[in-house]
Amino acid sequence: MFSANSIVFVVDDDPSVRDALSNLLDSVGLAAQTFGSSEEFLSSSRPEVPSCLVLDAKLPGMSGPEFQEELRRTGIRIPIIFITAHGDVPMTRKVMKAGAIEFLTKPFQKGELLGAIRHGLETDQSRRQEQAVVSELMSRYEKLTSREREVLELVTTGLMNKEIAAKLGLSEITVKIHRRQVMTKMEATSLADLVRMADKVKSQSKS
Amino acid sequence: MNKGYGKQTYPLMNVAGSIPQSKFAGLVAPSYWARLGLSLVFVAVAFLATLSLQHLFPYPFLFLFFGAVMAGAWFGGTAAGLLAVVLSTVLVDYFFVPPVYSFAVNATAESYFAAFVVCALVASWVSSSRKKSAEALSVARDQLELRVLERTEELRKSNMELQEREKALLHSQAELARLSRVMSMGELTISIAHEVNQPLTAVVTHGHACLEWLSAEPPNVSKARQTTERIIRDGTRASEVLGRIRAIFKNEALAKAPLDINRLIEEVTWFVRDEAVNRGIQIRTGLSASLPQITADRVQLQQVILNLVMNGMDALEDNAARKEIVISTRMNDDSDVVVSVEDSGVGFTAESVEKLFEPFFTTKLHGIGLGLSISRSIAEAHAGRLWAEPRSSGGAVFHLSIPIQQQVVDV
Repeated sequence: MFSANSIVFVVDDDPSVRDALSNLLDSVGLAAQTFGSSEEFLSSSRPEVPSCLVLDAKLPGMSGPEFQEELRRTGIRIPIIFITAHGDVPMTRKVMKAGAIEFLTKPFQKGELLGAIRHGLETDQSRRQEQAVVSELMSRYEKLTSREREVLELVTTGLMNKEIAAKLGLSEITVKIHRRQVMTKMEATSLADLVRMADKVKSQSKS
Repeated sequence: MNKGYGKQTYPLMNVAGSIPQSKFAGLVAPSYWARLGLSLVFVAVAFLATLSLQHLFPYPFLFLFFGAVMAGAWFGGTAAGLLAVVLSTVLVDYFFVPPVYSFAVNATAESYFAAFVVCALVASWVSSSRKKSAEALSVARDQLELRVLERTEELRKSNMELQEREKALLHSQAELARLSRVMSMGELTISIAHEVNQPLTAVVTHGHACLEWLSAEPPNVSKARQTTERIIRDGTRASEVLGRIRAIFKNEALAKAPLDINRLIEEVTWFVRDEAVNRGIQIRTGLSASLPQITADRVQLQQVILNLVMNGMDALEDNAARKEIVISTRMNDDSDVVVSVEDSGVGFTAESVEKLFEPFFTTKLHGIGLGLSISRSIAEAHAGRLWAEPRSSGGAVFHLSIPIQQQVVDV
């Protein structure tokens, strides 16, 4: 049902709730790691696998919403499912606006919790895959020479070899050689493929 | 008639003391000429008296003139006194100092006449200065009296202000007490809700896990057993939380003291007065005047009655027709004081009566259903009872009975 190496983090100050959540996740084949406070979570070393966070909104010390803000600030991108004994509308609005997956009231039903967790893990998995693809492309792009990058730039704007040659003051043959080199290094199968890759690289280097 | 008046003036003078004297001085004061005239009269009287008495003495009998001078100075002031001295000197010189009927003075009578003049001057000076000091004294007395009156008035005013302030203070204190009570009840509710909700969440979550373990192929019985044990553990914990809350009310050293239950009810109705007005609810009381005092924990009984009244008010919410709560007290069998709280609200069926007092039974949207359960614990802690019945005319009535001889039961 879930990717085998995914993990669910649980942060709740009540040991019996932590224990119960970890038992439920265990019963559906999900690995869980529990923490009694947000500080404990932050100081732990977590495996780089698809994951999501089940977070008690009312915590001693840093509260749930504060913790969410802290994660965003430190660049830890993890889908969050809030659980609370008595959630109020303003708090719900706030955390949902800040990107929470779900806001559940204790005691929650299995379906809603597991549904939210699945959604969270999928989100995180596709983010991680996307991230992996982009970083692979970036490393390929790094291998290009500056002349090859110029050629790539112009090719993706739709210019013909002849036009590129004129712009760069090169012979058409030389442009052709550079272009083949770019295709090979970027491991592109077609021009369309190359254009797509170039877009991703561009958006990544922009952000 | 005159005699009668004269007799009455004596006690009057005595009683009134110094004040009429000063008023008399005020009467004499009017005009300068009148005062001089008065001096003239005194001297004339002294002259005539001396004239008629002179034949009895072998030497010039002049002492009555001192009286005239003193009287003139006393009533007329310094100038009148001096006038009396001059007049007396002239008259004495002419009529009494030898040679008689001449302004000349014999060598033998010179020193005598000089002594008379000096004595008259001294008498005038002493009399007028004594008069001045007496007047100053009476003015000072009058002023003192006036100041005492003013001060008394000021004190009365500031005393009234103080009383007003004290009343305002008492009012705000009572308001504060009401607020803190309402808040502590609200806080208690939230903390109870949270404390009970945590183990319940664990129970529900373990329950789902247990189903998962059992529906696995093959069923994981050992995991299911473990999970069930945890369900039992957490369920027990939830009930312990409730037990603890009940114990707070039950076993906490009750601060029992003699109290007037009617007074307590009046306080409660005062607490909820604003709330009732806001909700358009009328609270009536029918309190028995002949109730003995009971020995009870005032704060806890207040909580119970407040809770009953608040429940009644909540029950009236949907009943627009007649919103009324009646609180009454009476004696029952000479042994118990009974407080009844009636409402004309939605009421309940006979079957659900006992459920009312179970923890977590509630008909309210935002209630957690502990109020009546806790209230009954408090009643029992006072060896009393709390029960409910449907009201014949619609609505509900709750009765709280507290024995009056409870302290004997305890011993």
